[in-house]
Amino acid sequence: MRGLGWSLRSLGRHRLRTGLSIAGIAVSAAMLLDMVMLSGGIEKSFADLLLARGYQIRLTPKGTLPFDTEATMSGAIQLVTSIRQTPGIAAAGAVLGASLYGRRRDSLITLFGYGIQPEAQALYTIISGGDLSPTDSLGVLLSLPAARVLQAKVGDSVTLVGRLDPQVVTAAVGRTLMVRGLVRWVYDYRDQPSVGTVLPVMQSLAGKRPGDQASLLMVRAAEDSAAPAVVTALRKRFPQLEVNSVADLVREFKQRLVYFRQLSYILGTMSLIVTVLLIATLLTITVNERLGEIATLRAIGISRVSVVREVLLQGVTLTAIGSALGIVLGLVTARYLDSILTSFPGLPAAFSFFVPRRESLTRAALVLLLTGSLAALYPAWLASRAAIAEVLRAEAA
Amino acid sequence: MNRAVLVARDLRKDYPMYGEAVHALRGVSLEIRGGEYVAVVGPSGSGKSTLLQLIGGIDSPTSGTVEILGTVLQSLSDRELTRLRLTRLGFIFQRFHLLPVLTAQENVELPMAEAGVPRELRRARALELLGYVGLGHRARHRATQLSGGEMQRVAIARALANRPALLLADEPTGELDAATGHEILELFRRLNQDGTTLVVVTHDDRLAEQADRVIHMLDGHIVIPERREAPAVPGLPASTA
Repeated sequence: MRGLGWSLRSLGRHRLRTGLSIAGIAVSAAMLLDMVMLSGGIEKSFADLLLARGYQIRLTPKGTLPFDTEATMSGAIQLVTSIRQTPGIAAAGAVLGASLYGRRRDSLITLFGYGIQPEAQALYTIISGGDLSPTDSLGVLLSLPAARVLQAKVGDSVTLVGRLDPQVVTAAVGRTLMVRGLVRWVYDYRDQPSVGTVLPVMQSLAGKRPGDQASLLMVRAAEDSAAPAVVTALRKRFPQLEVNSVADLVREFKQRLVYFRQLSYILGTMSLIVTVLLIATLLTITVNERLGEIATLRAIGISRVSVVREVLLQGVTLTAIGSALGIVLGLVTARYLDSILTSFPGLPAAFSFFVPRRESLTRAALVLLLTGSLAALYPAWLASRAAIAEVLRAEAA
Repeated sequence: MNRAVLVARDLRKDYPMYGEAVHALRGVSLEIRGGEYVAVVGPSGSGKSTLLQLIGGIDSPTSGTVEILGTVLQSLSDRELTRLRLTRLGFIFQRFHLLPVLTAQENVELPMAEAGVPRELRRARALELLGYVGLGHRARHRATQLSGGEMQRVAIARALANRPALLLADEPTGELDAATGHEILELFRRLNQDGTTLVVVTHDDRLAEQADRVIHMLDGHIVIPERREAPAVPGLPASTA
């Protein structure tokens, strides 16, 4: 029966039923796709975020992860100088994270401050204006939310205030700095007002100057492939510090978010089951309705193989159309869900839960097509086993 | 004398019903030669349709054998039997059973497509057959757009598609009014005159009257194997045979 496509055209005989089934498959496919994107997307997004500027290694105080606690390490500049001299390392820089305040007229606004070494930074990209120079102790970089709350633009002066005296709520340390540029901080959550200065200025504002404190050190190996060897070397050299590659951090992150993966597996499996039930039900109803037609086809010499092939083709076609629509629907819903989830406090705005990747799309599509074929197996078997004489007798009665 | 197209020997068919065996056929033997036009008549439940299904390889007998052109159907695998039905036999049913989503031409092409006939050849042959049954102008109409008589003529064209040695028809005028039924009678007569071997199960006296031989059945037996005249000389024109 090659070339006549009667089975596909048969799907058009009950358009509403076929349409509703395709819609159901599309919803299941969208759910499956979202779950596939969710299961692998978080770690992919996290890894992309950590590698945003190519720094593959992080050093933190022993027993901590980057920005996980307020713990700091002392002797930051000396450590960085020493690390930069290590073979295989292209760049290294220290970062200090601290809470501070910005003065706007008579009020103080809570800010997050980054102390950085501009010559080796992996935390921001410039949106407008310029960068800090390594010795620029009078300049500051603002995120757009910070510029908004401080009502400042490039070239303006802003006053940053460090520790407050808890008794009288007055600033212990204050500095007036000129806005050099507006930047996007890679790890900022949505609408986070952040500022950045060179490391010594931030240390001074945070009261960390005496010990030359830093929250973490970021290291870029000359070659990505050399990163594990550099990590090993750094661990040996600095046993007092926690040395992690991005892969280590992703592994740790995965461990913490294992429930997300479990949830996505469960929901993904449920959506597959729904798809199987939908296709199997539709095709079984169709086959039962068309038993007379199928018995006639078998009587006039159409082989079981041809009948099975046509029913399977129906299943695969339904799945393919449903999946194509489901991919579009899945991408739209993923975007919407992502915008909700990433608005949760404490999550970097650049972070994404649902990452559409070619592999995940291909995997979801293949799983669905396989599922569609499997779902069509029972109705196909039913069609191939139609008792020709019995059905024809019943039809004639 | 033409060679035997069909030889049935002592066919018996029992159906289980509520734990009892219903004897639909009780030892029927039959020989049909090339070019014959045979009508099988009898009251409902006499075993006519069962006989047709057994000689057409659609159902298997409880005992006995059926030979089509020297091949014993009971010795064939399901696949071989399906192939034989496709290439050696043509079936016409009371309710036409065309595929409603296909056009008249595509319905006729269906068995040829299954047999692996190349697209151009099968299209040409389908159009030729539709012309033969008087429906050349309806080739592109869907089955659902045809009248009952037209559908039955398409079904006849479909049955002829792979040049069968034997055409089997089960109540071919059963769903048609008198005038339309008459058109089908005429077509059968013409087919037979052109050399097609026909076995028709019918209640229609007019169909039976034009047959060479009328087989009367009662309670699973052949009661009167009647022969009216010598079988027609085979030799369908190239357009149909």
